[in-house]
Amino acid sequence: MSAGPTPDIRCTIAARAARELHDGDVINLGAGIPMLVANYLPDGHDVVIQAENGIVRAGPVSTPGTEDPDRRNAGNLPVSLLPGGCYVDSATSFAMIRGGHIDATMIGTLQVDGDGNIANYDMPGRKIGMGGAMDLVAGARRVFVLTEHCAKDGTPKLVKRCSLPLTGARECDVIITERALFRRYPDKGFILEEVACGYSLADTQASTEMQYEVAENVKLDAYGPVA
Amino acid sequence: MPGNKVIPLDAAVSRIESGMTLAMGGFLGQGAPLTLIRALRDGDASDLTIYANDAGFGDAGIVELVLAGKVKTLYCCHVGYTPAVTGAVENGMLELVWTPQGNLIEMLRCGGAGLGGFLTPTGVGTPVAEGKEHVTIDGRTYFWERAVRVDVGLVRAHAGDTLGNLCHRGTARNYNPIVASCAAYVIAEVEHICCPGELDPEKIQTCGIFVDAVVHAADGKCAEQRTA
Repeated sequence: MSAGPTPDIRCTIAARAARELHDGDVINLGAGIPMLVANYLPDGHDVVIQAENGIVRAGPVSTPGTEDPDRRNAGNLPVSLLPGGCYVDSATSFAMIRGGHIDATMIGTLQVDGDGNIANYDMPGRKIGMGGAMDLVAGARRVFVLTEHCAKDGTPKLVKRCSLPLTGARECDVIITERALFRRYPDKGFILEEVACGYSLADTQASTEMQYEVAENVKLDAYGPVA
Repeated sequence: MPGNKVIPLDAAVSRIESGMTLAMGGFLGQGAPLTLIRALRDGDASDLTIYANDAGFGDAGIVELVLAGKVKTLYCCHVGYTPAVTGAVENGMLELVWTPQGNLIEMLRCGGAGLGGFLTPTGVGTPVAEGKEHVTIDGRTYFWERAVRVDVGLVRAHAGDTLGNLCHRGTARNYNPIVASCAAYVIAEVEHICCPGELDPEKIQTCGIFVDAVVHAADGKCAEQRTA
């Protein structure tokens, strides 16, 4: 379960996100912070990891000497296949994704706004493409955005209105950052439910452009750095 | 042997002419038809339109065709692992049309299955749906996406017989069986070629009736990512 000796905010986010998953969930993890979530699932868990290149029950990254060039994940990392796992073609993989067979997807983002709009694939000078993200946010039952609260230059990523091209409209259900957890409810929009250790309600407000309300029973010091 | 589809690489690739539209299997190099891509890179055909998941990995794959000036338009969903392609787009060498992965594979699947298109929820409210006809069914909004048939499909398989029956392996399967269905002429590069009857019929994932030519897969596999 250890993610290494130096806890960083990426691990804080991933560890909190892992607590949102339950045995039996079929999940798809995007590149970056979401990929770290697998490190924080409890020992003996039964969360099924699907990757869009066509692998179900993908296991941990292969140890040196056990790699198979025909067994990789959607980030092209060599991975193991857990007992009961299988391979599918891309059309079947996306039938799983669009067809409501994926319980949760966790993705990174460039921007997310109060209507649940997500913009995660196209910014000036960094055009890499949406990959499977548009299908995942449209098709997965629950969509988690896992992101640093602010961009590297300090500007908010939780914005009033996404200005970059959208990956999905009104698709985000939960936002987890190193500072706070927001959950979106159909009639209320995003509710701030948890504030992480080391941050205050005022800190969160100051670094968030996105419209949200504070839960009556908001949890302070709700989660924090992990080993 | 009757029905033998094994032919020399140059004979197979000579079917590809300038201006043609192609589809290719592969996901970041996994299961990508590198032998055929390199023969195409070294051949005369240019001005190609290609449908594929991505442009390969690092400097291997469709990126080689792009840098050789062979590709006019690439329909794909991701080029994050082939920075040279991003550069080619910025230089005006290549037109890149972003197509969400699930829509892309379904365009090819529908083309291969004789359908005219499909209604997709993927991309509603985003740039990929702009200008396309929207339909609401049971309260959910979809838009029409077209089916795609191509002139030539290039695929790779772990094992295949001389009739073109193919067994893919692991995550190298990905787009390959679908690409084999949506092209007027399909070339399969095969790592291990065997005789009819040697493959377990229960394990054939791409039926030989989809495949027109079989060549030996000479080139190796794309490198993998080393760190997360």
